[in-house]
Amino acid sequence: MTNLNAVDPAAVAQDAHLESADVVIGKSTIIFRRFMRNKTAVAGLVIFVALTVFSFVGGFFTTWDKETIDPFNIGMPPSAEHFLGTSQAGIDLYAMTVEGTRISILIGLIVGLVSVLIAAVYGCTMAYFGGKVDKVMLFILEALIMMPALLVVAVATSGGGAGLKRDLPSWLLLIIVLLVFSWMGTARLIRSLSMSLMQRDFVKAAQYMGVPPRRIVWRHLVPNIGSLLVLDITRGVTGAILAEVAFSFIGIGIKVPDVSLGVLIGGATSQVQTFPWMFWVPLTVMFLLTGSLAMMNDGLRDAFDPSSSSTGKARKARKIRAEMSK
Amino acid sequence: MSSETTTGSGTTASVNSTADAVERLHIAGLHAPTDAVLSVRDLNVRFNSENGVVHAVRGVDFDLLPGKTLGIVGESGSGKSVTSLAIMGLLPETAEVTGSVRLKGRELLGLSDKAMCEYRGNELAMVFQDPLSSLTPVYTVGTQIIEALTIHNPTMSKQAKEARAVELLAMVGIPSPKDRLKAFPHEFSGGMRQRVMIAIAIANNPRVLIADEPTTALDVTIQAQVLEVLHTAQEETGAAVVMITHDLGVVAGMADDIMVMYAGKPVETGAVDDIYYNPRMPYTLGLLGAVPRVDVSEKSSLVPIDGIPPNLLHTPTGCSFAPRCPLATEACLEGEPALAPVPGVALHHAACIKSEALGGDVDVHDIFSAPPVPESRFDAIPRENRSTVLELKDVRKHFPLTKGALLKKRIGTVKAVDGLSFDVREGECFSIVGESGSGKTTTLLEIMEFHKDQDGEVVIGGISNKQAADTKTKNAMRRELQMVFQDPTGALDPRFTVYEVLAEPLQNAGLDRQAIRKRIMELMKLVGLQPDHVNRFPNQFSGGQRQRIGIARALAVNPKLVVLDEPVSALDVSVQAGVINLLDKLRAELGLSYLLVAHDLSVVRHISNRVAVMYLGKIVEIGEVDRVFDNPRHPYTRALLSAIPVPDPHVERTRERIILKGDLPSPLDAPKGCNFATRCPVFAALPAAKQEKCLTLEPPLEAVAPSSAAQALEPAAPSPDQRFACFFPDGELDEDMLVSHDQAEHHAP
Repeated sequence: MTNLNAVDPAAVAQDAHLESADVVIGKSTIIFRRFMRNKTAVAGLVIFVALTVFSFVGGFFTTWDKETIDPFNIGMPPSAEHFLGTSQAGIDLYAMTVEGTRISILIGLIVGLVSVLIAAVYGCTMAYFGGKVDKVMLFILEALIMMPALLVVAVATSGGGAGLKRDLPSWLLLIIVLLVFSWMGTARLIRSLSMSLMQRDFVKAAQYMGVPPRRIVWRHLVPNIGSLLVLDITRGVTGAILAEVAFSFIGIGIKVPDVSLGVLIGGATSQVQTFPWMFWVPLTVMFLLTGSLAMMNDGLRDAFDPSSSSTGKARKARKIRAEMSK
Repeated sequence: MSSETTTGSGTTASVNSTADAVERLHIAGLHAPTDAVLSVRDLNVRFNSENGVVHAVRGVDFDLLPGKTLGIVGESGSGKSVTSLAIMGLLPETAEVTGSVRLKGRELLGLSDKAMCEYRGNELAMVFQDPLSSLTPVYTVGTQIIEALTIHNPTMSKQAKEARAVELLAMVGIPSPKDRLKAFPHEFSGGMRQRVMIAIAIANNPRVLIADEPTTALDVTIQAQVLEVLHTAQEETGAAVVMITHDLGVVAGMADDIMVMYAGKPVETGAVDDIYYNPRMPYTLGLLGAVPRVDVSEKSSLVPIDGIPPNLLHTPTGCSFAPRCPLATEACLEGEPALAPVPGVALHHAACIKSEALGGDVDVHDIFSAPPVPESRFDAIPRENRSTVLELKDVRKHFPLTKGALLKKRIGTVKAVDGLSFDVREGECFSIVGESGSGKTTTLLEIMEFHKDQDGEVVIGGISNKQAADTKTKNAMRRELQMVFQDPTGALDPRFTVYEVLAEPLQNAGLDRQAIRKRIMELMKLVGLQPDHVNRFPNQFSGGQRQRIGIARALAVNPKLVVLDEPVSALDVSVQAGVINLLDKLRAELGLSYLLVAHDLSVVRHISNRVAVMYLGKIVEIGEVDRVFDNPRHPYTRALLSAIPVPDPHVERTRERIILKGDLPSPLDAPKGCNFATRCPVFAALPAAKQEKCLTLEPPLEAVAPSSAAQALEPAAPSPDQRFACFFPDGELDEDMLVSHDQAEHHAP
């Protein structure tokens, strides 16, 4: 802040009025306001929430479920009885889409959240201790990055993990495998960010007070990379959903009878011409899901970034007045 | 504001309508038909923020005559920089600028960015604050100077441009300019880069040169050099200079006129002598009283200006300074006073309804009710009888310098700290001064590190680092010693409330919740903060308040010794005075000892009892502060002291300065004998035979030998507390390194 005043007049002004108590706006309020100002992001949030709600309560609007076969309607286009038609096996597509969306969102959220958490703790620990600890942990990280994730997923979900597969549903297995391979990039980013935080005086101050290292990592480092973590969670969720779709598409992810958007899309590709609804419906849902997250991501970055160019509402009022007076 | 009606719809107005408005102003006689090279009228700048429109500059007027220097002084946030950026047309699009800025009669406001490029770098040039980031790292300095020449002189030949670039570099005092043309910015030190910036700024013989805090980021010795360069540049080009600074000392010797800004408005303008010797506005009085003086030993408290600048979101209804002004009465709250001429003094204007009652004979300490000088219970006890809280014995810190990627070859040693010994007694403030790179901060880090493998012994409160193996001893040591950091913003975790910040050391000391709460309330009161502010976050406080929080945190566990690393260098003068007074008070009341590192010698003189001057990892002079400052023996101390600007125009203009040549030598080619020989003004004037001694022998740190006459008078008198490391302390100074500012007079009226 101190030597910004020459370059950034807005910051000077900001500073000047921050000092007066009555205008202090809570940081969360500012973030919320900024997020709400980005219409795209709000639309994304609405779509994402709507999809999540749909995936949980959508099942109540139909009498069919993802396993029951309707022998009278096999491979039928959308009709009054089956909102979105049926598959070539006679299973209701609507029921499957609801189930698939839920599994996809579940995988996305769990993998997104947990992988960022692992990355944060791992990255901060590396940065804090440095030296030998850093070297060993970095080696493990690099080794994991170099491991061919695709093969491991294939082995775990197909032949190799027979024992595992018996005990765990295939979506849970996929979550675990995705988790193992999704946190390294973020961890490396967090390591470098924390290393620069380590140079900050407040970390030194804590060290000189004799605060134990574990507490410094947890209380000083993790919260200060919070905005990055939030962004990385949305990115991670999108990544996990796409990975699930991709793995299921090539047949090594979720296995029937479990359904997911990827399974549905993968199963329908060969019959796009004959059963187009089987392909387009889950594809649209997947697009809405990842698209809404991408839309939110942009707004979140704007809201959390302190150097954001997002200005106050006052400006708009002024502009309108200026235009009117022209 | 009248600008609303005259210029219509602000920035969105077309060039035509602004020109019209200016014509109307012109006809109305607001543009005086002077030969001013730059004239600014009713400049207003507004920004939009999360909370509304911030009116950052409110009606600035000035005329700048060719060859003159205008100093704009004020706290941060007073609109100084915004004014300069508005003149240069460098404000972001979102800012709304109204009024009139005329360069040699041509209107600049309302010009498009492209049209402004004609003027920027040509007739209007600017030197920025941070020399480290204002040069592009990927181009050589030659390319960057030539670029400035090419843009405004497309027809100039390549040879001519190169010749001009060499000439410019020589003018700003860069040795062997022809070779340095091909050097990259990272090969230059901060001061050298600022010289290059000045060279670029004067490349096209500008009419107006705007310098925005050009020396704030530099060391005092380098500051003196750069100010000297600016001075030469002004003489060579005949440009008018706008010098923006918060340091009243810097402008005292340079400026012809001063404009004091407060809350976006000029509150006092006038000739430099009028402002310094006869201020008529309480704010100016306060600013002058807040600056510690390096040339005065008298111990009096500094004048703090309480409170914070007003919020520029709302138009002030009364005088904007009234809430902080000790003289404010009901009348001050009725309408903002306009800048009115001070009766009897030509061209001196002040915006205060009481300006007639004020003047040079008013004691600022009375007006601002400066606190009395605190007395410590240790002051009465002689130093020898007090116990030692910190002792350093021959502490060294050497860093190996290696080269080569695969096979690291040791090519030298950086002696950051080289055999340092000193002690700090109870209740005293011991300061270490020196340029950056002299090893001050490394010394502090060595003390704070405190572990067994250090070279040399550190004893803190009777605990030596040689026996401190287990965590228990270390924790005991930590309770004796705490630290206050330079940057108050960086030292507080932005996500902690004040309560959490202060609770951290207490929790660590194992106090229970009740006791912690009680202690925090005590601490808040102790450092002069409102106890009910504990739930706020650091960013809701001003810089001075943040530093107070930092001090409270350091005091939480009742340490005996507090290490202060440049505690006030990031603060405004008015705020700085408050923090220095607080430190003084705490030392007296709690019987604390301070180890202070600072580059501002005036602050050091004000608060310390003893001082050590460091150069390249060694102490070159150590002793009682008044002795060292009044009677400096080592040439380096003399140079440092003469480089400090004093907020007194007469002193500044008449005194002789020692301008050290160049920067700190690289540790690699550190001289064998006396470290300082390469830059020493005494050494340069010595005959060759004596120079030999300086180059081969290392001068030891020795006490001042009492003169034979004094010895004859009182043979038993104890030698005074002052030791220095120089063979020829009384040697003649080299003429080349002496600069007197008398020559500045010839362009004065």
